[in-house]
Amino acid sequence: MLMFLCRRLTAAAIMVAIASTLVFFLIHLLPGDPILLLLGEQGASNPEVVGRLRQKLNLDAPLPTQYVRWVGRIVRGDLGESFQTGLPVAQEVARRIPRSLELIVAGLVFAVAVGIPLGILGARRPNALAGWLSSAIAVVGFSSPSFVTGILLIIGFSLWLPLLPSSGYVPPLENPVQHLRHAILPSLTIGTNFMGVVTRMTRASVMDVLVKDFVRTARAKGLSDRLATYRHALPNSLIPVIAILGVRAGNLLGGMVIIEALFDWPGLSSLLVRACFDRDYLMIQGALLAIFVIFVLFSLLVDLCQGLIDPQLRHA
Amino acid sequence: MPVRLLKRHFRLFLAGPILILLLATAVLANLLAPYDPLGIDAGNILQSPSSTHLLGTDELGRDILSRLIFGARVSLSVAAAAVVIASLLGVAVGILSSYAGGHIENLTMRSIDIFVCLPEIFVAIVVMAFMENSLRTLVLTIGLLYFPQFARVAYSVAASLKRKEYVVAAVSLGASPLHVIGRAILPNMASVIVVQISFTLSFAMLLEAGLSFLGLGLMPPAPSWGQMVGTLKDYLFTNAWPVVFPALALFLSIFAINTLGDWLQDHLNPEMPR
Repeated sequence: MLMFLCRRLTAAAIMVAIASTLVFFLIHLLPGDPILLLLGEQGASNPEVVGRLRQKLNLDAPLPTQYVRWVGRIVRGDLGESFQTGLPVAQEVARRIPRSLELIVAGLVFAVAVGIPLGILGARRPNALAGWLSSAIAVVGFSSPSFVTGILLIIGFSLWLPLLPSSGYVPPLENPVQHLRHAILPSLTIGTNFMGVVTRMTRASVMDVLVKDFVRTARAKGLSDRLATYRHALPNSLIPVIAILGVRAGNLLGGMVIIEALFDWPGLSSLLVRACFDRDYLMIQGALLAIFVIFVLFSLLVDLCQGLIDPQLRHA
Repeated sequence: MPVRLLKRHFRLFLAGPILILLLATAVLANLLAPYDPLGIDAGNILQSPSSTHLLGTDELGRDILSRLIFGARVSLSVAAAAVVIASLLGVAVGILSSYAGGHIENLTMRSIDIFVCLPEIFVAIVVMAFMENSLRTLVLTIGLLYFPQFARVAYSVAASLKRKEYVVAAVSLGASPLHVIGRAILPNMASVIVVQISFTLSFAMLLEAGLSFLGLGLMPPAPSWGQMVGTLKDYLFTNAWPVVFPALALFLSIFAINTLGDWLQDHLNPEMPR
């Protein structure tokens, strides 16, 4: 298990390094001069000011040198300073990581808590109304783009039934109750989409396992249908469900972009979008780095869970 | 018999009509739209559905129905063009790298693996924010972002076909690589690629909608469903009607494409797991 862990960790680190390198060069090779944007047409006409700012922002060196400097500072935990506000990027990114993670974790918990039971229901009674309903919910959840789900939830729970706030953010230390109320709709939006995926996968996978010999044996030795399903079939059928969580991690994070914009949630994705509009290079790189790290760590976690459940994978 | 047929191809009968309607709308947009999609009417903003404006009007008094109809054209053409780029490029890269073998094969497929993992929307946001917002940039960006998935699928099929007896036999009889690819590899790859195309179509459509929603897709006033949702959501508490329709249009399209993809998957490659 330790070897497995080491191998996966190394792969994850390489992945982050490559991804952030690509992003660095991509950003710097794309057209659009941040100096021009910061100073405006008039300010940029003074070459002395431009030169000084270029030097201050570390944009005067050749690209490879800039890259080496950037990496050198990251290793020391310094992501540079925002072009716009002058504040350290690392501080801003660190402030927003928990806010994004909060929604992701809440959404995942919802997806798993609702999706797995729904999927089992669908697999056990494929021809009954309940089974059909579970498929229908899965397909709708799966196909509904996050902004559609989100808008329908806002219309349902803050317009028709004015129960929950439609957007905004309240820091948890300021008012924990308000904080949670603001987090419910965005988390549900993420969760619904993911729930569709989980339900679908659970249903297919439980159906596959239910006809296996060992389940028949379990039934034959006198176990009840319920016990055979939950004790014997379910653990075996969860492996592909966990795998799909890993495969879909990208969608989960990608969905955050829309959801944070829709609900005005000041997380990592909205930081990234704003930084893009501002041409704030270091902020973009910092936010993307954090997003990649979260993504890779999530995949790693999924791998580890799979390794724990399925010993065969540890030696693959 | 008809009932059995209906049951067996349930997904096709569900998705087909929606897709035909969507396609017809996109093609015949000029004939179907009751109003000019860009025509501003300051006296009639954010109207609910009525007999004059069947689906209401937006924040500038433009007819929602007309904008939806023209939006179908934008959504479909962007997604379709992007998928064409992604599939052509991906299939070519996949087959060539499986043919090249050795270091080239390894290097190409390892780098493809990295690209497949990256969440597309983040790269798309960065690119779209820095480049000029034109249709060409949008299509190219989405197409390039989805090509690695095609490359991986094409590669895995090509790599397994390469070892099949009939391919080995053809090669040993002196068939040129072009002949082998055209006669043996491509036809056998078609079904897998078709399924991949249908799923990528829905991803591309979603990505376009997402980018336009954030204000990073097509520039207004060109109508795009994602952009309509993005703008109209701010007026939700004034009138919730206008935002519902573009959202539903998106949902129905994605749903229909996904359902068609499932049907294709079941009937073209029944042995492949989902």
